[in-house]
Amino acid sequence: MTLTLALPSKGRLREQALEKFAAAGFPVSEPEDARSYKGRMENEPDIEVSFLSASEIARELAAGNLDLGVTGEDLVREAAADWQSRMGIEARLGFGQADVIVAVPEVWYDVDTMADLEDVAAEFRSRHGRRLRIATKYWRMTQDFFSRTHAIQVYRIVESLGATEGAPASGQADIIVDITSTGSTLRANHLKLLDDGLILRSQACLVSARKSRGESDAALVNRLAASLGS
Amino acid sequence: MNSQSLLSLFAERGCDLPQIDLLQPADPFLDTAGEDLRRRIFITADGNGASLCLRPEFTIPVCLHHLASGRAQARYGYSGSVFRQRKDEPHEFRQAGMEDLGDTSIAAADARSVADALATLDALSPGARWHITLGDQAVFEAVIRALGLPAGWRKKLVRSFGSPEKVEALIASLSAPRERGNGHPAEIAGALDAGDTAALASAIARRMEKFGYLAAASRTPVEIATRMVEQAALDNARLSAEHIADLREFLSIRVPLAKAGETLAAFARRLDGDMEKVLAAFVARVGELVRNGIDLGQLEYDAAFGRPLDYYTGLVYEITRDGQALPIAGGGRYDRLLTLLGASSGIPGVGFSIWLDRLPGSMEHGA
Repeated sequence: MTLTLALPSKGRLREQALEKFAAAGFPVSEPEDARSYKGRMENEPDIEVSFLSASEIARELAAGNLDLGVTGEDLVREAAADWQSRMGIEARLGFGQADVIVAVPEVWYDVDTMADLEDVAAEFRSRHGRRLRIATKYWRMTQDFFSRTHAIQVYRIVESLGATEGAPASGQADIIVDITSTGSTLRANHLKLLDDGLILRSQACLVSARKSRGESDAALVNRLAASLGS
Repeated sequence: MNSQSLLSLFAERGCDLPQIDLLQPADPFLDTAGEDLRRRIFITADGNGASLCLRPEFTIPVCLHHLASGRAQARYGYSGSVFRQRKDEPHEFRQAGMEDLGDTSIAAADARSVADALATLDALSPGARWHITLGDQAVFEAVIRALGLPAGWRKKLVRSFGSPEKVEALIASLSAPRERGNGHPAEIAGALDAGDTAALASAIARRMEKFGYLAAASRTPVEIATRMVEQAALDNARLSAEHIADLREFLSIRVPLAKAGETLAAFARRLDGDMEKVLAAFVARVGELVRNGIDLGQLEYDAAFGRPLDYYTGLVYEITRDGQALPIAGGGRYDRLLTLLGASSGIPGVGFSIWLDRLPGSMEHGA
């Protein structure tokens, strides 16, 4: 049987994933033709390696079109409402760390916590004739955090696919939910993290699609997870 | 009884029967009920990217229809499929209900809504026994006022009405002081210490300009400064142990409606605040219910029963069939909804909706 495994196709994430796999005893040979998106695992011919963008990996895992993938936990949680019934996190890989956070303009000196934000959201409509707007590419996680964890219902999500941190200054949105690793982009845009505004500490993970597998495939997944997770 | 005879019944009771499209613009639903609705409805988009959804309920489209008609007062009836994403239940199910818009005789309109709901249920399931739980947002608000809390805290509590966990969490934070770090820039901290809202606002405005923030796009410097000054009062607001006990006692009131007026009056006498007007309205509504021929024996008042949506304002009720757990019908007064939907002045509204699929065998499919 064959297992399909997708690795991130670009940048630091790709390099770190390849390093991690090699260190764990699963070296991946990169395609000789730089335009190809197929790789090979010399000592595990049963694993078919491809290179995809990290968000596509999460989507394909959710749809069950891949067996395994390396992608960010943030993207996995965002890929489907019932992600836990579709995917399993087999190992956290120790790179690609970033936090999904709630940030508000630095000048909102009266807002330090989600409870403060709830007050602001509740009054927003009557003061501004519209609901509080949150720019994010993480609408599922935002809803979960605002509506379920903090019971804040009255806000609108503005979908933002890039440069989210600029949205408050330009007036596209009032606050943001975004990913940050050092916080420097937030500071440069005069945004601040709320005291209890951490939604997820994300990192790159080995993720499996939940489907029934033969004994040998299941054992291979476990072996891979155990070697990468240690 | 089929959908057609249900609509005839609504027409006999003075309702218009507007045509409500299956495909609706999504924004009015998300703006009023909140983003959380997004995961529970079916959203699609047209070729230009405008969000549309499969009709998730009727009240909002009926209200929009009313606003478009320009009429001052009207009653509407509806019956048809609605669509929600639900885990273990069908995505399509049927609802019927009535909305009574623009009637300023609040007590009479409230009672008529309950009477309409019961008459519809009786027509659908002749001979069944109904149990009605009734709550009142206005009574809760009056109790909170009587406890003498600052406005900010009152608003917080009012918003959480109907969600017991949230009310409990707020009561807990009202019994312990909040520590707030003051890491503000010197200019801001100075103005705040002086309690000078105007100076604070101009300091904030200067920083917004320096940071390249548009001053009018979002929260304004004055708004932020005002809340900072208010916050000091909020952080220090405490509810005495005695008042916390009062609040808890109020929330645990559950009595037959016939006795509720008396129970509430006795409770109000113990608080110092003025609850007379609200209690008079409560009692007037009970009188109207009797005048509509409703047997008060099937009604129970639950002081903690409410809906945590900011457009509900007074009466809320829920009807169950004797011996069943799931409510068959839900109703309430939503005097703030039409303003949220764009009405230039307040238009009172009250209505109910019946979950037809929870009445086994009572409806043929169709329409």
